[in-house]
Amino acid sequence: MSEQETPTEPTGESTDEEHGDVSAKTDPLAAAPEESLLEVRDLDAGYGDLQILEDVDLDVGDGEYVTVVGPNGAGKSTVMKSVFGLTTYMGGTVVFDEEEIHGLRPEEIIYKGISYVPQNDNIFPTLSVQENLEMGAYILDEVPQDRLQDVYDRFPILEDRKSQKAGSMSGGQRQMVAMGRALMLDPDLLLLDEPSAGLAPDLVEEMFDRIDRINDDGTAILMVEQNAKEALRRCDRGYVLAQGQNGYVDTGDRLLADEEVRQQFLGG
Amino acid sequence: MARFQLFSEDSETPVVDAIRGRVLLTLALGVAVMLLLDLLAGLAGIEIAEFGGRTLGGEIELSTVGKRIWTGTIVGLIFGLAGIGLSMTYSILNFANFSHGDLFTTGAFTGWGVALLVAGWGVGDAGYLLLARSGTGPSSTDIGASIIASPLAILIGVVVAAVATTGVALLADRFVYRPMRDRGGIPLLIASIGVALALRSTVQFVYGPQTRGVTGTEGIERTDFLGTGLSVDLHQVTLLVVALGLMIAMHLLLQRTKLGKAMRAMADNKDLALVTGIPTERIVRATWILGASLAGIAGFLYVLERGTMNYNVGWFLLLFIFAGVILGGIGSIYGAIAGGLVIGFVHEVSLIWISSDFNAAAAFLIMILVLLYRPEGIFGGVTTA
Repeated sequence: MSEQETPTEPTGESTDEEHGDVSAKTDPLAAAPEESLLEVRDLDAGYGDLQILEDVDLDVGDGEYVTVVGPNGAGKSTVMKSVFGLTTYMGGTVVFDEEEIHGLRPEEIIYKGISYVPQNDNIFPTLSVQENLEMGAYILDEVPQDRLQDVYDRFPILEDRKSQKAGSMSGGQRQMVAMGRALMLDPDLLLLDEPSAGLAPDLVEEMFDRIDRINDDGTAILMVEQNAKEALRRCDRGYVLAQGQNGYVDTGDRLLADEEVRQQFLGG
Repeated sequence: MARFQLFSEDSETPVVDAIRGRVLLTLALGVAVMLLLDLLAGLAGIEIAEFGGRTLGGEIELSTVGKRIWTGTIVGLIFGLAGIGLSMTYSILNFANFSHGDLFTTGAFTGWGVALLVAGWGVGDAGYLLLARSGTGPSSTDIGASIIASPLAILIGVVVAAVATTGVALLADRFVYRPMRDRGGIPLLIASIGVALALRSTVQFVYGPQTRGVTGTEGIERTDFLGTGLSVDLHQVTLLVVALGLMIAMHLLLQRTKLGKAMRAMADNKDLALVTGIPTERIVRATWILGASLAGIAGFLYVLERGTMNYNVGWFLLLFIFAGVILGGIGSIYGAIAGGLVIGFVHEVSLIWISSDFNAAAAFLIMILVLLYRPEGIFGGVTTA
C-alpha cells in the first residue's frame, strides 16, 4: 500500500492559486502550498546503516499547520528528526526558507529558524522554569526579555512558577516548559514530536488548543502525533506515513473522511 | 513516610517496632552514643573499666578534639575541592575519571616547581628548583616557600597548578577522550585508568621518585591566632580561604552565568542541550578547564598544608575523593563538597578513638552506612553539576 502513488501527492504544481493561502483551513483541495517554507524531496535517512525513510516528500507552507500520522514504526519521528539533522542523511533534499539544510547539524539548523520539541525528556529537570526558557535562547547573546514575556503571557502558570525546578512540575506543565523553550527564538517552524504523549486525557484537548494558538500567531507547525484523529481535525494538512514512505496526503478533514485511511490507520 | 516516623502511635511496643527493620541504623546510633560517652568521659578525665583491659573515657584533651575537628575540616575541604571536578566530569562527560587523582598530582608538582623557583630565586639552581627539589641542592627551609616568606610564590604556584593541570587535561581530552566520546562510560573509565598511569609515570620520570619536602615552615605556626588563643597553621588558613573562595566562585558560576547554566543543562539532558543549540563541545572544554583547575589547585594546597609530596599523592587520595563524591551524590558539586567534608572529617576525627591504622576504614564505613539509607547520596537527585 505504501508504494501506491496517491492522487494528491504534493508536487508543488498546484493549479489553484488559493492553495497557497494557508489560513484557508477548509480548502477542499490539498496540494502543497504555493511557496513552501519547508520542502522535503526524496529524502532518504536513517540511523547508522539502517535506512528508515525512503523517498519521503513533505511540504510545510509559511504559517501552515501540518501533521504526520501513521502506525507505530512508520518513521514519523524520524521524519522530524531528519529535518532537524538528528539522523544519518542518505539522500534527497531538505530546503528551508530557500536554503538547503540537509546534512547540517542541529546546532546549525537552529540558527535557520527551526525549533524542535522532542517527545520525551524535553526539559532540563534540575533547572528552574526560567532557566529552561533562558536555555532556549542560548544562541542569542542575551536573553530577549520580550520573548520571555511573550512565553509567560502564553503560559501564565510558568511565570507563577518560574523559580520552580522544571522536573518537579506536572506532565502538562512540563510540556509547556518544553514548548516555551522552543518558542524563545520565535522560530518560523516549530517541530513537535508527539506533544500529547504521556498527558492525562483531559489535558490533551488543552494542549491541542495551545498549539492552535501558537499556529494562529503565525508560527508554522510540523507535528507528529499518535492521537491521529484529533491531530488531523486540527491541522491544515496531514500526511499519512507508512513503512518510511509517503502514503496519503490531503487536508486533515479529507484524510479523516477517507474510508481507506480510516480503516487502515485510524482504527475504522 | 514510615521511615521518618520514629514511633508508631498505635503500637503497644513502640520502641521495639521502631528498631525493627532498622537494626543497622540502631546499631550505628548505639555505637555513636558509646563514642560520644567515651569522649565526654575522656574530656572529664573519668576512666571506667570495661573489659579485656579496655576502658571507657580516660584522658582526652579538649584541645586535641578541637585540633582533630580543625584538621578534619581542612582535609575535607581538599577532598571537596578536588571532588567538584570529578563530579562535573561524571555528570557532563558521563564517565568516572580515574585520572583525576593524577591531575591533582600534576597540579601539585607543576605548581610547586614554579613556586620553589620563585621563592628560591638565587638560592639554588633553577633546574633543581623547577623540578621541585629533584637532585641535590638547598633544603626547603633555605628556599623558604611559605605564605609568610614568599606569598607571591604561593600565589603564582596556585595559578601555575591550575593552568598546567588544565593543559594536561585538555590534551588528554583531545587525544584520548574525545575520539571515544560516544562509546559509553565504561570504555572511557578504562581509558582514564590508562591516562592515570601515564600521568603518574610521567611525573615520576620528570620529577623523580623521592618524597620531598617543599614548604618553608618558619613563622607558619601562630600560637595566638588573631588574639583567639588558638594555635593555627597559617598554611591551613590559606587553604581554607582559597578553597572556600573557589567553592563560592563555582557556586556563583553555575547558578548565575550563562556558561554555568548551560553546564547544568548539559548535565541534565545532553540530547536536549544539543537541539537547544548549546555548543556541547565548548561546554565539555569548559568542564575540563574548571574541573582540572580545581583538581590542580587542590593538589597544590594539599601539599602546602602537608609540606611534602611524592608522585603517588593524588592516586592515594583518589579513593577518598571518590568516596566523598559518591557519598554526596555523584553529579552534584554540592554533594561533592558535602561528601568530601564528611569523609575528611571522619577520617581525622575518628583518630580520637582509633589508631591511624584504621581511620581510613572508618571513613569508608560512614560512606557505606549513609549509602545504605540514602542510596542516591546526600544531594543525589536534588541538584546537578
